Order: sequence, then structure tokens, then C-alpha cells
Amino acid sequence: MKPVKRTSKFLVVFLKEIRETLRDKRAVGMLAMFTLMYPIMFGFILHQTIDRATRTEREGIELAVIGGAQAPTLMSQLKQKNITVQNLAPSGEDAIAELLRSKKVAAVLRLPEKFTENYQAMRPAQIELWFDSATDQDRRRRDVEDVLKAYNANIASARLLAHGVSPATLAPIDLQRYDTGTNAARSAGMIGSLLGFLFFPAFMCGMAAAVDSTAGERERRSLEVLMAQPIRTWELVGGKWLAAGLLAVTGITLELILAHIGLSWLPLEEIGMTWRMSWSDLALLCLVSVPLSLFAASVQIAVAMNAKSFKEAQSVLSFILFVPMLPGLAVSLLELKTATWMYAVPMLSNQTLMREIAKGGELGALPFVLTFACSAVCALALLVFSSWRMKSERYVLAV
Amino acid sequence: MIETHDVRKQFGSIQALDGVSFTARDGQITALLGPNGAGKTTLLRTLVGMLRRDHGSIAVDGIDPERDPYTVRANIGFLTDQFGLYERLSTREYLTYFGQLNGMASADLHRRIDEVSAMLDMGEILERRSKGFSQGQRIKVALARALLHRPRHLLLDEPTRGLDVMSTRAVRQALATLRSEGCCVVMATHVMQEVSHLCDDVIVIAKGHTVAQGSPQQLCQRTGIANLEDAFVSLVGTDEGIVA
Repeated sequence: MKPVKRTSKFLVVFLKEIRETLRDKRAVGMLAMFTLMYPIMFGFILHQTIDRATRTEREGIELAVIGGAQAPTLMSQLKQKNITVQNLAPSGEDAIAELLRSKKVAAVLRLPEKFTENYQAMRPAQIELWFDSATDQDRRRRDVEDVLKAYNANIASARLLAHGVSPATLAPIDLQRYDTGTNAARSAGMIGSLLGFLFFPAFMCGMAAAVDSTAGERERRSLEVLMAQPIRTWELVGGKWLAAGLLAVTGITLELILAHIGLSWLPLEEIGMTWRMSWSDLALLCLVSVPLSLFAASVQIAVAMNAKSFKEAQSVLSFILFVPMLPGLAVSLLELKTATWMYAVPMLSNQTLMREIAKGGELGALPFVLTFACSAVCALALLVFSSWRMKSERYVLAV
Repeated sequence: MIETHDVRKQFGSIQALDGVSFTARDGQITALLGPNGAGKTTLLRTLVGMLRRDHGSIAVDGIDPERDPYTVRANIGFLTDQFGLYERLSTREYLTYFGQLNGMASADLHRRIDEVSAMLDMGEILERRSKGFSQGQRIKVALARALLHRPRHLLLDEPTRGLDVMSTRAVRQALATLRSEGCCVVMATHVMQEVSHLCDDVIVIAKGHTVAQGSPQQLCQRTGIANLEDAFVSLVGTDEGIVA
């Protein structure tokens, strides 16, 4: 009898699982999708959000006016407020509705033909403001209304003054509105929580391998043969775990690199966010995120080995996959400030760490160590559990 | 040599093994006969140390599989009722995997794969992936896997099921060769013809315990029935008065 080489058997299982997974189109497809498609999709959504958030400030407001020549003062006041006026030929209700639906203008202002006549006779001169409340042009419409109100007040003052009455009598209060929120700040909050999803692929990239090498082997009835070999259960579980884990590590690292390139390129400053991450910061982040992928693989192995088929494992795991996302969502919903305990929760720790690095502050070593350790400890604990479970008689009988 | 004495195993309220005793000698093919549900699979799993017995003793070349399952397994070729092939691996890769799991060195492993492949006449499927293999090809690959690490003992669960005549002959030929090399072969089967032609010794188990052990001729003599199949039915049906 040759002495049993323990590490080599662990590696034998590992290499076989890697080879088999790389031949599995489903697993490789999933890996490619989450490393390539995910950051691209992510960048696209971010780009759209930033674009929409900053458009108002850049482009001003487009307003269509019918019969504007009757009120030249109003037209010039609109222009002063950065509102672009498009003169429109008199058109009917349907044409106006169509124009609004196309979102080319924020609203349509229609001055009826009798406007001048009524204005000169000092009767209330009707002005129509057409808008579509189903589109998100609400703020722009309000800006237009503000101009109309100011125009109204100006004329009223002039007329009162002509009659020797102080216009101040009509304005017992003077309301001034100050909106400190900007579109940009609102979307920054949303993007902040979106960034948390960058770590989600850690739980997706290795899943096919983890499920196929446990529940899949069970379904194809090859696990019993494997368990009758002169190999310890931890070597068996460990090899399968490392194979799934390595795929997840590869996936998440590539994905983070792509995301980093994208985020450095996006004009995040325009919405008051920063992505102050250097390549060395990124390398460190990827390194401390390695145990997260290994933790994900250990969860998947521990769950999938107890399922009788690939499908059963997949449906159970699809529920479990969202659990690691919950702390992150809770923190962003409750708007909690970053605290040390957050670095001790797998997934949440990685999300928090990334956000803090992106802000560009000095962090110290503790957050990095905690982030690394919490996932690593959980992964090892689950690995021990899975090995123990595979050894148990109840499991052997169920295989 | 495999020796068991009064092995018992209970699952909840079911007594799967209720006193199994036998000796399977080296250089012999020992048939394990028993109706479905007699406890054959449980017995085989207990022999490789995957299940723990409640009572009794087992020794595989003097080693207790419960104490040192890895040494025992390294010395046993186990063919279960499932082949356990991997569709995405070729036959050679599959055999290499199990050879490495049994601690074989690479040069020896390559040589041995060619040997086993020649013995079972499976040269044409050696480089193919097992997807789409016929029943006969599958069982050959599984048998090759069980023989690969030159185990001194073979535990085979119905090795010729689903095989055509040519493949059955090839398998029987291989088993005869192994016997002449001094292997201890234990084979669960339902094919009486195979037992009378191939096996030196027969263990009959029913309801979890051994009801008889002996050569096919001895069993016929003991029951006073000339036909082995009828002798088997008589042994299983009337388990009183027969001492193993």
C-alpha cells in the first residue's frame, strides 16, 4: 500500500470538476453572462439614469406656444427663465395631445384668439396650459406655471399702480421657495443601492458547477460510486467546493474590473457621486472579496447536496440567493450610517467596503480584515457541515 | 478474503441484515443469491464501510472496514447497481479520475488503462465521451473502473444485467481471468445459469440473513433437488432447519 496522498486527491476532484464544468455549456454561459453582460447592462442603466437626471439643467424646458404673438412680454419673460419657446400654428386638441405624447415639449401654451381683446378690455384673458400628467414632466410644467403667475402678478401690479393703489396690498405675504434637493441627489441614492448588486454574481457564477457536482451527481447516480472510493468526505466536498468557488472568484473579479472601467468613465460627478478607486484599491477589494465567492459556493454545495435533482436544487437555491442581498437592502432602506458591524456580515461587508473606498476616505485595516474573515469563517463552517453530512449514514442511504 | 460473522443492521423498525455470516475465499467466485429486498445492497455497502453495522464482525483481508474504510476500499473494486459514468468525460478521462482517486501513479495508470481496455475489448470507446453509450458499453466502463486499481477483492452487483451474449461472455471471461489471478470475487446475481457455470461458492441470503453457503452441487445435494433454481427457491422459501 502506498501512503495516501491527501492533498492530491482533493486536487484530483477539483481538477475533474473544473474540466467537467468547462465542458458544460449551461455553466459557461452563465459565467459569461454574469461577467460580461452584467457590467454592460449595469453601465447602460447608470448611463441612462445620469443622463435623465442631468438633462433638465443642461437642456432647459421646451414649450410649444400657439398664438404667442399676442403676448410679447410673456414670451420674453419665458425666454429669460431659460424656457425655449416653439411657435405653433393653431391646432386642435388631438394634435396637441399627440405632441405631448411624443415628449418633445414639456407643455403646450395656447392663447385663444380673443386674448388681446379681453386683455385690452381688462377682462380675465384666458390662457390654456396643456400637459400630460402621465409623463414625468411635472417639474418643468411647474416652472412654466411659475412664469405665468409672475406675469399675472406683474400686470396686476401695473394696473393697480395706474389706479393709484400700491401693489403691495395685494401681496400680504411673499412666498419664496428653496428646493435644496436636486434631481442628481435623488438618483445618487438609487445608484448607491444599485452598486450593491455588483457583488451578486459571486452567487451566480459558481452555482451551476456547485449544483451539478452534487445534486447533479446524485441525480445521475454517480455519487454512490464516488463515495465508495478510498477518499475522505472532506476531500470530496472540498474539491467540489473549490471548483465552484474558483469559478465564482474568476467571475466576480472580471466583473469588478469591467465595472471599475465603466464607473471611472461615467460622469458620476454630475450627480454628486464619486468613484475614487485606484487600481490598487480595486485589487485589494477583489482580494478581500475572494472569500465571499467561496462562501457562496459553500452555501450552494451545502444546499444542493441535499437535493435529489438538479432542478430541485436550483429552485431551492433561487430563494436562498436573495438572502445575502437583504442586509444591504435593509441598510439602504433604513438609511443607516456605516458602522463597524456592517463589515462582519458577508455581502453587506463587501458592499459597504466598496462604497467607502469609492468615497475616497481613509479606512484603516479593520474593515478589510473583517470583510475577508467573516466570509471565510462562514465558508469553512459550512464546509465542515457538508463533510459531516456526507459522512452520515442517513445521507448514504438517501443517495 | 472476506469474512463476516453475524452481521446485523437495523434501519428504524426494519431489520435489513439479521445475522449474515459467510466466508468468500481468494481465487474463487462467490455468488450472492437472494430475492429482491433480501439485503444484498445493504450488505455490500456495509462491506465497503459506507454503512456501520450494529452487530457482528467483518474482515476484508483481516481489516475491519469500519476502522479503516480507506484501506479496505483501496483493496476493493465495487460495481454497484448504478454505473456512475460522467457524460462530459471520455472513457479514458473517467478511468484516469478513478485511478487517481485510488492513488495510482500516472505511468502505472496509463499502462493499466490499456490493459483493462484490452481485457474488456473496449478500445473503440476509450476516447469517446460516455454520452450515448449502450448498456453494454456502460457496464464495461464501470467494470473497467472497478478493476483498474488491481483490487484483491471485487464486489459486483449484477455485472451482466442488460448485456448481449457477446458482452456477457467477455465479462465472464474477464472474471475467470481475475479468479485465476487469485482475486476474491463476490457477485450478486439472479442468473442461475451464470451461478452454476461460473461460481465456485454460493451464499444464499433471505430476509436479511444467510440461509446457506456451499458450492452449487452442495446446495443441490443439501436440498435434494437436482436443479439449482429449484434448490434456491426451496432454500429461500423454507428457511428453517438449514444451517449455513
